[in-house]
Amino acid sequence: MPAFESRNPDLVLVGLEEGRLSAVEAIQALSTSCDSHTKKRQTDTESPDSSEWRLREALSELDSLIGLTAVKALVRELVAYVKIQQIREMRQLASEALVLHMVFSGNPGTGKTTCARLMGKIFREMGVLEKGHLVERERADLVGEYIGHTAQKTREQIKKALGGILFIDEAYSLATGGEKDFGKESISTLIKAMEDNKDKFIVILAGYREEMTKFIQSNPGIRSRFPIHIEFPDYTTEELMLIADLMLKKRDYRLDVAARAKLEAQLSRNLGTDSDHSGNARLVRNIIERAIRRQALRLVDKKQLTREELMLIRREDIEYNHEAVYRFG
Amino acid sequence: MKRCIVLGKPNVGKTLLVLGLADYMKVKDVDITFQDPGGARYSRKYPVDVAMRELVGALPHQTKCLQSFSLEFRVGKGKKAVELIDTCGLTQQIHDDPLTRKAMAQTLSAIRGAEIIIHVIDAHFLGSVDVLSDPTEVDLDMQLAAFAGPRGGYCIVANKMDLPGANRGLARIRRLFTGYKVLPVSAATREGFKEVKRHVLRNL
Repeated sequence: MPAFESRNPDLVLVGLEEGRLSAVEAIQALSTSCDSHTKKRQTDTESPDSSEWRLREALSELDSLIGLTAVKALVRELVAYVKIQQIREMRQLASEALVLHMVFSGNPGTGKTTCARLMGKIFREMGVLEKGHLVERERADLVGEYIGHTAQKTREQIKKALGGILFIDEAYSLATGGEKDFGKESISTLIKAMEDNKDKFIVILAGYREEMTKFIQSNPGIRSRFPIHIEFPDYTTEELMLIADLMLKKRDYRLDVAARAKLEAQLSRNLGTDSDHSGNARLVRNIIERAIRRQALRLVDKKQLTREELMLIRREDIEYNHEAVYRFG
Repeated sequence: MKRCIVLGKPNVGKTLLVLGLADYMKVKDVDITFQDPGGARYSRKYPVDVAMRELVGALPHQTKCLQSFSLEFRVGKGKKAVELIDTCGLTQQIHDDPLTRKAMAQTLSAIRGAEIIIHVIDAHFLGSVDVLSDPTEVDLDMQLAAFAGPRGGYCIVANKMDLPGANRGLARIRRLFTGYKVLPVSAATREGFKEVKRHVLRNL
């Protein structure tokens, strides 16, 4: 074991996680490094080093997502803002209460949920949220069936989200039901809870761009309480190809040149059609997963398989069929 | 709130000890928080007997994340809550499953924040193997004691005292771990829980 590893307890634990060290070796390494640690033992689980480290990890995970430049920039801004506000508070300067409720607009499969999940992690490490978990809900989870039921159901979901993020997908549907719809009651319960539990949780409303814009414009109460708007643009063909490469790499596959060309052609053709699924990472995933199954079918009867063959996705493996892909979406 | 962590090898009875203590203290429901290595948390309220049925098992590595709940102890006229943390068992060899390895790393990192450390050793098992001439079986326990022992609030619980051969195991534990506090316990029959409770109380 390299010496630097034994000095940093976090690295020792990583070594154990990755299977380079056994528990016995890890304990030994920790014992040698714990001399300096026993002194500050009381505060150690909350030690800035390790949460700083986890924060960096979450941020680099965010950076590894393809595209989403606007989102990344905004998260950096928020991280800096939160840090400075915390320092200001320590120095007893006036610090503003953090209002971090957000609206995410964009088509399905553009990374809204993924980003929300990472933000939960990031905010937890920064001490903004206690737990940072993501509670993903939609209209049916919030709206009840009879009078008085809605407030109760909504409150229940909010309670689950305390300390983390309440992510409401297709949030505009809470307002589209007409005069007598219970969706409105759900919105007012939510707003009340946001006032009551100011620092305890973050609400993210997500949905298609046009519908969300209309929804927010028509609700002054909501507009003023959600200061942060993030737009998730559709991915370009190049970005989709990068996503495809990343997905394949994670699964230990790769495309040959012809397959690459075919996939690219199909993605760009689809982008032109202006459907909801164009520019959508989920579409790429479905095509790739289908290709992997078709490759398996092509290879299953062969007697001798090389490593190379098992990894390679060929042109004929990529089939693009509207219906088949959409059904899995 | 002070934290009390329970550690040891897999299948020595850590979870049963923790839940047994809740039962011994006449608690009906426990609100268990599961904290997995990724940092996600989730909590669920169980009646103690249901928790025992669902979380305790005969196979090693039933617990694969930190499972904690708080327990109130009467101190003088008031009450003090202690967070009992049940952990994933530590193995001698490098484990094949990455999730289990992560959970073990979690166990070790949780030691750092705990004020009370209960190290569980299977006395029944040690009674059946000859550890005095071949100490590889207790290598991990020895390391653990050397690591956690000086931290204060540490004690060894010799569990499974109701099973045959456990007395011999207890004698061997006392011989190997001289200088540490050793409490003979049977988590299954709740024997010796009085001493465990007293150990926790003394360190509050």
